[in-house]
Amino acid sequence: MISESNTGPRSLAVKLAGVTKTFGRHTAVDDLSLAVPAGSVYGFIGPNGSGKTTTLRMILHIFHPDRGEIEVLGERSTRAANDRIGYLPEERGLYKKMTVRRVLTYYAALKGMNSPDAREAIGHWLAKMSLEQWANHKVEALSKGMAQKIQFISAVIAKPQLLILDEPFTGLDPVNLEVLRSAILEQRQQGATVIFSTHDMTMAEQMCDFVFMIYQGRKVLDGTLAAIQSGYGADTVRLRVDGGAAALRGIEGVQLVRDLSQCQEVRCAGDPQDLLKALAARTRVHLFEVARPSLHDIFIRIAAPAPREATHA
Amino acid sequence: MRKTWLVAMTEYSNAVRSKAFIIGVLALPVLLCLSIGLQYFGRKNVDIRDRRFAVVDRTGVLFPVIASKASERNEKFVTQHGADGKSVQVSPKFFPELFDPAGTNGGNAEVALSDRVRREQLTGFVIINTNAFSADGGAEDSMSWFTQTHAYSELPDWLERTINEEIRRMRFEKAGLDQALVRKLTRNVPVKRLGLAKVNAATGHVEKARETNQFATFAVPAGCMFLLYMMVMSATPALLNSVLEEKMQKISEVLLSSVTPFQLMMGKLFGATMVSFTLSALYLASIGGLLWNMGLLNLVPPALILWFVFFQLLSLLIFGSLFLAIGSACSEIRDAQSFMFPVMMLVMLPFFVFAPIMQSPGSSFARWFSLFPPATPMLMMLRIAIPPGPPWWEIALGVALTTLFMLGCVWAGAKIFRIGILAQGQAPSFGKLLRWIVSR
Repeated sequence: MISESNTGPRSLAVKLAGVTKTFGRHTAVDDLSLAVPAGSVYGFIGPNGSGKTTTLRMILHIFHPDRGEIEVLGERSTRAANDRIGYLPEERGLYKKMTVRRVLTYYAALKGMNSPDAREAIGHWLAKMSLEQWANHKVEALSKGMAQKIQFISAVIAKPQLLILDEPFTGLDPVNLEVLRSAILEQRQQGATVIFSTHDMTMAEQMCDFVFMIYQGRKVLDGTLAAIQSGYGADTVRLRVDGGAAALRGIEGVQLVRDLSQCQEVRCAGDPQDLLKALAARTRVHLFEVARPSLHDIFIRIAAPAPREATHA
Repeated sequence: MRKTWLVAMTEYSNAVRSKAFIIGVLALPVLLCLSIGLQYFGRKNVDIRDRRFAVVDRTGVLFPVIASKASERNEKFVTQHGADGKSVQVSPKFFPELFDPAGTNGGNAEVALSDRVRREQLTGFVIINTNAFSADGGAEDSMSWFTQTHAYSELPDWLERTINEEIRRMRFEKAGLDQALVRKLTRNVPVKRLGLAKVNAATGHVEKARETNQFATFAVPAGCMFLLYMMVMSATPALLNSVLEEKMQKISEVLLSSVTPFQLMMGKLFGATMVSFTLSALYLASIGGLLWNMGLLNLVPPALILWFVFFQLLSLLIFGSLFLAIGSACSEIRDAQSFMFPVMMLVMLPFFVFAPIMQSPGSSFARWFSLFPPATPMLMMLRIAIPPGPPWWEIALGVALTTLFMLGCVWAGAKIFRIGILAQGQAPSFGKLLRWIVSR
């Protein structure tokens, strides 16, 4: 496990200490400790069923841990901070028969927002998301992407100090995805701490100050992207050769090939220079780059230890 | 409390804006108006086609009487004067014909006449046997009516009445008795039903007992119970659907990031309670207006309304908690059906026992059933509405037991709701629900 302590001078928005949660005989989260600095973007990654959503629900005090302590925005093991938290669940939860304006007004009021402020914020956010004309339509009339944006507005409308987003980009087209990504980063710029879970490793690499990975209920990664990557060494070679993946067959020292069609990613056990020589002897090399492993690669190494793709020894 | 109130107001607002609520408000008056209207329309549009029928008169003396009475009826009793002064026929005319069995040339009279009925030449036919005058009847049927339209009873009823009157008259005449005198001597003595006399404490005068009103005795208690049942059914099962829908659409997860499960549950419960009270206010006001218009408002004492409101609240909290718990524990409406059955049985229990309780509201059967908490609100309401009502200690015990039961239901419901609302997958068994209730 790679871990970098985030308990420096910055104050913490969320702190988990030895948290365990079980459902029957299944341990969803096992002895998890985590420190999320205030004002950071913290990415939660992990395979399905690894404990991400359970951890997020515990931070929201929807679930109570069996053991351990949770401190959120300075409040220890109580829901006192919940009005300062915005939450976007993995599966969208909007009343289909209510109008967009009524749903947002209701969710804002539940976070303690008064009506005039809520009205103003709804107008602002609907305009920002280009949804003003849908304000008085019922939610059931919205497309999936529009409903997702409304759900996001419901999470940020009360100006939360902590924003928890569970798979916020699922099902969005590139345009809406970019709109949402900008809005999330804008929240961070305004001082909010953002925790989001995602399966999109590229998005996590681009957006997160810290990445945390949970696997089978246990923490397996926690730190900045650079620190995590450095922990996995510089054994990854990205290359493009004539003949593609077939040209790599039989070369000594190549442990794993990820064929990305236009290029291949190779995990090189020995000296990369030896690999370059071997390749140059058998084909034409267009690209040869020694790189740190991507988050995607690290994820695969942890979650799928037995290589799924071609392995050449 | 603020968040509970917010959830309650949203639930209330969603409910009263829904089509189901508007249908619920209008259902009873619309059905009543429709029923009255259709009956009125039906009465105005009776089938007044002439009714022909055959008489096989084996006595040889009754047919002339039947013919004469039918003629008299056709002239005097089948028309009514309308508001515009015109006479309108409101009933069909009867035309008897004497059937001579000898005319069948040895054939069977019943078969011959039945064929005519099938061809719709006759409505039916009556056979009067010779033993009709016998005081003890005899083995053979005295009088038989044959028809293929058994639902039509006006003609056979008239025939039975007319022929019996004539037979009685002839029997009295044969016995040398004056029929008018016999009628006087056999006059029924009706029982006048009264309340109790009392002395007015202020004036010292004796207040005579008042005649009891059948409406007050039966319609008011039964009406109170039925209305209470309606109010419970109009709001509480909807809670199951509401919470199940929120759970299936993952709305509950969003809500639970802002409110506790208990706040959410109580908000929904209060919302449903307000919906039910809105509905009952509309109904009570309408019924009160109707009674006032009919001059019968004094039959419903104000205390009865207060008891109604109190028992309505208890019922809503009891059954609302149970339906909320079921909804939260299940993930599909199909799973909820099996849990609904026992709760519906509890809601409907008063209907299985209300008839004997109305007959004997002071019996031990009535007492023990009305002290069974799930049934107490409706059955105690019923007993209170029947004068003089149960003893005070029974009411107090019923209220205490039901309040405790209600608190238990809300507590157990909240325990199930807390776990069930986020549980996914297969519906829990009854055993698992019990474990949820006793879990910390």
